[in-house]
Amino acid sequence: MNISGEYKKIKRTGILPGVFAGGILAASIPILELAVRSEQYTGLVQSPLQTILEADWQMMAMLNMLLVITASCMLYHTEYADHAIQRITTLPIREEAVFIGKFLLMTGLSIAALVMEMLSLIFCTLHWFGGEGGAYETCYGEISAGAYLEFIKDLAADFAYCLGMLIPVILLSLLIASAWKNMWIALGIDVVCVFMATIIPERYFALSIFPFALPFRILEGVSADRAVDYLIAAAAEAMIIGAAEMIFMKVRRALA
Amino acid sequence: MNIIETSNLTKTYAGFTAVSGVNLHIPRGTVYGFLGPNGAGKSTTMKMFLGLTKPTKGDFVIDGKKFPQDRIRILKEVGSFIEAPAFYGNLTGEENLDIVRRIIGLPKSSVDDALELVGLTQWRKRLARKYSLGMKQRLGLASALIGRPPILILDEPTNGLDPVGIHEIRSLIRSLPEKFNCTVLVSSHLLPEIELMADNIGILNHGRLLFEGTLEELRRRAQAKGFPAENLEETFLALIEEDNMQRNHIR
Repeated sequence: MNISGEYKKIKRTGILPGVFAGGILAASIPILELAVRSEQYTGLVQSPLQTILEADWQMMAMLNMLLVITASCMLYHTEYADHAIQRITTLPIREEAVFIGKFLLMTGLSIAALVMEMLSLIFCTLHWFGGEGGAYETCYGEISAGAYLEFIKDLAADFAYCLGMLIPVILLSLLIASAWKNMWIALGIDVVCVFMATIIPERYFALSIFPFALPFRILEGVSADRAVDYLIAAAAEAMIIGAAEMIFMKVRRALA
Repeated sequence: MNIIETSNLTKTYAGFTAVSGVNLHIPRGTVYGFLGPNGAGKSTTMKMFLGLTKPTKGDFVIDGKKFPQDRIRILKEVGSFIEAPAFYGNLTGEENLDIVRRIIGLPKSSVDDALELVGLTQWRKRLARKYSLGMKQRLGLASALIGRPPILILDEPTNGLDPVGIHEIRSLIRSLPEKFNCTVLVSSHLLPEIELMADNIGILNHGRLLFEGTLEELRRRAQAKGFPAENLEETFLALIEEDNMQRNHIR
């Protein structure tokens, strides 16, 4: 059941078109930015991916998070709105399995959105930085299969890093959504958390690993040690939030 | 042989006792009517059977399986309908049943079978949120009946149905033990309804089991106590009233 069952449950909720539209919107940010003022960026002597992500990732990450929290709230709203969860809990399935199914689905949807964004990065790199003597050539050498492979490797690393930073947000927003039957309370808490994350100064590591602040981090232009620190923090948070959800469900069942 | 047995089953919520030392004996292959006024503890007892709420004291056995260690195994054998119809409003009746079917691991044909049983085939493609109350009730019943489980726990299943619907569902419940060899525990606060469906009844008031046995035994008990025995509704009311008076007296 798990992911396919959860996928069936989101029919007619608008989650799928919402993720698609959100992904396109986030993907269009670097295209629009470079279309309007490419001269500010094309002259920079650094990796084109770094240039684009430093310029636009904050807004793209914000959109990704808003997408994740809205979809998470809607995923649980379908369970609570007409008491479907009550029927599900009387079936031979653990509530934990429902949560895991929703997490896998949400991760899949996030990957879809991130893929759209990465395709946009490819387009922007090749269109605005791929010219003769451009940043692409400076960084990866003359356009060839080998250079292209190097570029794709960098892009894949960026993609995996962004996804890794998003995982704690997916888990935490699902935890919050599962805790409140009223979707608006969960959504309110999530939005407050997102805006709180935007005011956290990056120089304090302990504060910057707040789950909703992690998706703003990028792999480009950061030392390998710092990048690994953030990855470890994201993995630890994912485990802690996952464990917290399992405990929360057990306690809620015991108190029912 | 009893398929469901409880031993001193008790549920207390912050000082309020919803179910108090109940010992039920539900024979296999029968319809057991669970009767009591609103707030008597019928739904709480049924919720305990389904693991939706944990007993404060006592325990129960369903088909030889104990709660909580065999919870999932118990749920594999039980079809249930508790309180209000529960469904995904954004899905059609058919899609709702398909979700349940996938979880239980039944063949696709079981969805058509369940829809047919409750008379919803015609409206299978309509969104569940657009169903009338009676249709939602039928969908809840179909969800309980899907796969023809050996045990059915139905909490006031005819609520919200029109007289024709009540008659249909009542006849369906009555026929289930014979047709599918299953045991049905059905609750209601209406004695005439239970009278038409059940082989055995249990009467609950303020969480305590006042009577358990056949309708004939209830009549005999009423006669012995000097209660009206011709009309079962009056018998039931007299039993409840006597218990309420005893409770007030103790206070």
